[in-house]
Amino acid sequence: MVGIDAKRFFGLIARLVLASVFISAALPKLKDPVAFAAAIEAYRTLSGSWAMAAATVLPWLELIIAVGLLTPWLRRASAGIMALLLVLFIALHLSAWARGLNIDCGCFGASASSPDYHWLVLRNLALLILSIFIWRIALRNKYAPTRTL
Amino acid sequence: MLRESLMIALLTILGTAYSLVSGLAPLPWAEPALAAGEIRLEDARVLDVIWVDARSESEFTAGHAPDALFYDQADPAGSMAGILEQWLQGPRPIVVYCTDEGCGTSKKIAGELRVNVPDAEIYSLKGGWSAWLE
Repeated sequence: MVGIDAKRFFGLIARLVLASVFISAALPKLKDPVAFAAAIEAYRTLSGSWAMAAATVLPWLELIIAVGLLTPWLRRASAGIMALLLVLFIALHLSAWARGLNIDCGCFGASASSPDYHWLVLRNLALLILSIFIWRIALRNKYAPTRTL
Repeated sequence: MLRESLMIALLTILGTAYSLVSGLAPLPWAEPALAAGEIRLEDARVLDVIWVDARSESEFTAGHAPDALFYDQADPAGSMAGILEQWLQGPRPIVVYCTDEGCGTSKKIAGELRVNVPDAEIYSLKGGWSAWLE
C-alpha cells in the first residue's frame, strides 16, 4: 500500500517536472517562432520553410503534451509522444556534437549561449526516463483489472 | 491510445492555425513586406556587395552567389574573421542569405555581423537563395 502510494507520489512529481519543463520550453518558442526556426536551421537537418514549419508546430505540440500529462485522459499518449520527442532531441544533440557544431540548442527558445552537450544529453536522458516511467504507469492503469467489491 | 494521439494532433493543428492566423508565425504563402535589415536581390545586385552564404556546405558547393563567402556555423569565429578580412580589403555592403524566405539563419548572422563589424552596412537577402533561382 505504501509502495503504491510512493509510486503515485513519484509519478505526480515526475508529471509536474516534465510538464513545467515542456511548458517553459514551449512558451518562448511560441512567442518568437522565427528565432526558433533559426535555431533549428543551425542543426543543419532542416532549412528554409521546413524549419519554419517545424518551429510553428513543435512548440504547440510541446505545450499540448505538457498539459496532456496533467490530464488523465491524455496522459498515455502525451507521455509516449514526449518520450519520442526526447529521443529525437537526444539524437539531434548527439549529431550536432559529433559534427562539432557550436550552436544555440534552441531548447528554451533562441539564446546566444553555446551548448554544453554533456549537460544537454544527460538532462534529456533524465527527462526521457521520467516520461517512460509515466507512460508505463499510465499503460498499466489502463489495462489493470477493474476491482469489484 | 490512438484516440488520445488524434486528439493531441487535432489540438496541435488548432494551435498552429492560431499562430498563423494571429500573425505569431508567418504564413507560408504570404508575401511579407521588406523587414528592417532586409534587401531585395535586385537592389543587392546593383550594389557591389560581399555575399555571405549561410546555408549548409553541401548547398554552398552545389551553387552560390558570385564570390560568396561560406559561413561555417561550426566555426563562427573563423567565418566572421574571413568576412571581416574581406570587408577590410574593400569596405562595401555585406549581404547574408540562407535557403529561402522562411529561413531565419541569415537574419541571425546579419545581427551578429552588425555587432562584430559595426561600421559595415549589413543586410539579409529577402527570399534567400530561392530569390536567386527565380
